[in-house]
Amino acid sequence: MGDSRKFSPAGQQYLDGHPGPESLDPTERAGADRLLRAVEAYAAGLRRPGPELDAAVMRRLRDEGATPSSSWWSWLVAPHIVRVRPAVLALAASLALVAWWTTSGPRAPSGAGAAETVLVRFQLAAPDAHDVSVSGSFNAWSAPGIALRRSVVPGLWVVTLPLPVGEHQYLFRVDGIQWVADPGAHAQVDDGFGRTNSVLVVGPRGVFGP
Amino acid sequence: MTSMVLSALVATSFGLQQTDLRQRLVDRGAAPEFAQQVAQVVAGARTSGLPVEPLTDKAFEGLAKGYTAERILPVVQLLADRLRAGRTAAVSAGLTQPSGRIVAAAAEALGRGMERTEVVDVLRAAPGPDAASVGLTVAASLVAQGIASRDATRAVATAYREGRSAQELLELPSVTSSWFAEGVTLPEVVKRIHEGQALPFPPGRAAGRGVVPGLRPGTGPPIAPPGKTGTKPNRP
Repeated sequence: MGDSRKFSPAGQQYLDGHPGPESLDPTERAGADRLLRAVEAYAAGLRRPGPELDAAVMRRLRDEGATPSSSWWSWLVAPHIVRVRPAVLALAASLALVAWWTTSGPRAPSGAGAAETVLVRFQLAAPDAHDVSVSGSFNAWSAPGIALRRSVVPGLWVVTLPLPVGEHQYLFRVDGIQWVADPGAHAQVDDGFGRTNSVLVVGPRGVFGP
Repeated sequence: MTSMVLSALVATSFGLQQTDLRQRLVDRGAAPEFAQQVAQVVAGARTSGLPVEPLTDKAFEGLAKGYTAERILPVVQLLADRLRAGRTAAVSAGLTQPSGRIVAAAAEALGRGMERTEVVDVLRAAPGPDAASVGLTVAASLVAQGIASRDATRAVATAYREGRSAQELLELPSVTSSWFAEGVTLPEVVKRIHEGQALPFPPGRAAGRGVVPGLRPGTGPPIAPPGKTGTKPNRP
């Protein structure tokens, strides 16, 4: 394979098996014949792959080619026969349901017997405030709370929330530091820490105003 | 084998709940030691069949308000004791397995000054478990509005015995609040309640359009909601 010279277009066609040998220069034809013999000799030394090669390749793919995650995925998506006692399955489902119910979903108010939800508008007059939020039993007193927005009425902050019927305790938080009771709430009750929480009892028709 | 699986599932669920609560407390700024102490109180309450959500909520409330662990933990413990008292009251009313909502509502009612016998009266008058918890909540709210616990108890118990529904009773605090806002005196409010004037209810706003007027702290009378006139005093 040490012959690196270039062939003419007729020589290349001869190598491809198309033209007759009479169209080639004898020297170029001799070189082309040497090259063809060398290729035939090399090809003769090659061993034709048998079916064992396919099996070996597939075995390597299974053993080494697949990543652990894809193996898990394959296991998960592949059908399996799993034997489970119905009682165990029912208990597992119950536990999952209890765990979900206790850690998620809307916060049921105190005394609420039904899951009916109505919209309740909270508002606070705080002309000097930069931001106002509300937190309470309906959001597990999470910080920073639910933001109120400025109303078209100067100094008035408002937000409308969907709340389940029942009693809710809450407070406004002004500028992130000052907890403020809602003077328009149904009542103020001891929060256990020496201060008060505002109380609203939301009925099926919402909350009545004056 | 099955019992082992069941035990493992229950233990895992319980452990996850405890871990989850501790983590939620830590996420809200609690020290790990404090979170562990609260989790122990909650675990004890759960073992006693008490609702734990009021306890976790109170801990969250204390953290949100910036109280120290030393201040929060006794409050949570006190609430746990009150829940036990609420459960005892519910059991004495004939409820062998009171729901968490009933126990929580009973505890709240006791915390607002209702007597155990009054809690029992409301529970016995209620037509069902849901109505029982609502009745206690409404009675406790009336007490918080300044109405004597015996009057609040009588109002709720009578309403139930007359066939009123829990949904109707839930509007009683709004009606009472409206009367106070109109300047009706406390004795007159009590009189109206006993005469049944609160039920049926006076015309109110459409469902879901309730308005809670607010007021900048420390300033004059509350402003009226946009488009409304008049004022609403905070408390009688």
